[in-house]
Amino acid sequence: MEPKSPLGHMVREVWPLIILSVGLLLVVVVIQSFGDRIVSQSLTEGLIRLVVVIGLYIFIGNSGLISFGHIGFMMIGAYATAWQTMDPMTKDIFIPGLPAYLLANSHHWLIATIIGGLIAAIAACISGLAMMRLSGIAASIGTFALFMSFYSLYLQWSTWTAGQSSLVGIPVTTTPWVAFWFCIVAMIGAFVYSRSKFGLALRASREDEVAAKAAGVNVTGERVISFTLSAFFVGMAGGLYGHFLGLLTVDTFYLPMTFITLSMLVVGGMQSLSGAVVGTIVLSFVIELLRKAEKGFSLGETSISLPASSAEVGLGIILLLILIFRPSGFTRNSEIYWPFKPKVAVTEVTHRQS
Amino acid sequence: MVQQGGDSSSTLEVRDVTIRFEGLTAIDQVNETVTPGEILGLIGPNGAGKTTLVNTMTGFQEPTVGDVLLDGTSVRKVNAHQLRRMGVSRTFQAGRLFREMSVVENVEVAGVGMGLRRAAAHKEATKLLDWIGLSDRANVLAGALPYTDERRVGIARALIQSPKFMLLDEPAAGMSDLECDDLMKLVQRVRDEFGCGIVLIEHNMRVVMGVCERIHVLDSGRTIARGTPGEVQKNPAVIEAYLGKG
Repeated sequence: MEPKSPLGHMVREVWPLIILSVGLLLVVVVIQSFGDRIVSQSLTEGLIRLVVVIGLYIFIGNSGLISFGHIGFMMIGAYATAWQTMDPMTKDIFIPGLPAYLLANSHHWLIATIIGGLIAAIAACISGLAMMRLSGIAASIGTFALFMSFYSLYLQWSTWTAGQSSLVGIPVTTTPWVAFWFCIVAMIGAFVYSRSKFGLALRASREDEVAAKAAGVNVTGERVISFTLSAFFVGMAGGLYGHFLGLLTVDTFYLPMTFITLSMLVVGGMQSLSGAVVGTIVLSFVIELLRKAEKGFSLGETSISLPASSAEVGLGIILLLILIFRPSGFTRNSEIYWPFKPKVAVTEVTHRQS
Repeated sequence: MVQQGGDSSSTLEVRDVTIRFEGLTAIDQVNETVTPGEILGLIGPNGAGKTTLVNTMTGFQEPTVGDVLLDGTSVRKVNAHQLRRMGVSRTFQAGRLFREMSVVENVEVAGVGMGLRRAAAHKEATKLLDWIGLSDRANVLAGALPYTDERRVGIARALIQSPKFMLLDEPAAGMSDLECDDLMKLVQRVRDEFGCGIVLIEHNMRVVMGVCERIHVLDSGRTIARGTPGEVQKNPAVIEAYLGKG
């Protein structure tokens, strides 16, 4: 049954967005209420990862192509943001290779983060124009090759990145609430994109590339748009991450980060925004618990601790189990259902599409 | 909804087209011109090169030799999606619907691909589904459709924004006689109401002889006969290569 009022209709249209935002808000409020500094830090880290996973969803979910390269864009965003916010004196010492303007000036962290995201987006757009002609596994390997090139480049580019050592002195500005608002913005961006004509056209190419071309869809062009938009959010998440840690190393943006974020998307359900959010929240809790267990906890008189790297192993096992038993993830690639007055055929379809 | 998309001066032409795949000649010096408002049958035994020729005419396959022309201008280097926007559309043998999307979205994609905004594409798609008799299925997942409806959705997808030419790849495959009759009526309605030129690949001789004004017969990539259904049926080369076996 269709809601009668225009407001009711609008609420229904954006229902998954509302329920995800409220759910995330509750998670943040509850965790913040513990008042524990360490827990609050894990929360911030989890929320930043959520921005990355939502960014991944924008590209992977709609295009059906797996990207192993997005953490490279996170790195680009992270360094580009730090170049703008660090104190000019510090920059002179650690990264004297920066252009004169950056060496002499600083931007507010919010402006810097947005510019950082834009720079990551530009990098994605240029590389995407070359790479997005590829399909399937070739495209995935292409993104991985790109990732390795960025990683090696940043490792060697020491006058801009401090190379093998850490870039320290980045102002710590990312609080849980800052990260939360970025999650909300990323969710709105992902939702609006996937409902737009661009998202629709790209999903068609995911279903059948040849038929999409026959329907007039410029498949390469649509992929580049999506790749660029997703890199924008992932790049901003990089900016947030640098300003959460207060320091940057190139190694932060390597395979473990790639593995964790991709696992979250796959476990949640690659083809829905709800999957990205649910997967990130669930796996973040699992990782935190396993990390706690690695450090050890006591049961009465005996203290038990899991071996180091249990979190990574646990994550791998969960990912494998999901791939085997529920390849469409926790959410079965659907958005969260409109719970009122269900009308089977309509709900099924309108909410299946991401 | 009567739309006269066909412009009578328009033509879709293949000129001396040869296509080779790693030495194998799939199409050998074929010529054909289609004009709006006509229904051309493209027939031939399996492996004759019919689908390859359709791929060439719709931008999916560049000819090795020869040229494809739309309204006299070469389009051999034009991409499939661009050619669709220029008014050459097609359907596929296997249907190739976007299975995880609803029926109306399947058609909407083509509207969006043609440059419409999403709301306008949705409106056009809904009108078209109504015209083709599938409005009650609009919100069903395309993957759940029976194959007769699948073909209709494929045709609706190819019809949005009134193409000048539409190429149908075996739309009647697997259909019963009754279903074939419906399909033949639909093809004629498309021609009459949209005014586009239609190329029909079909094995079912009842359908081909029933709706086509002209027939082009391929065998092993070569043209062996061209003419009206009556002429083609009497042609000894055709009888030997194709009809004789049936």
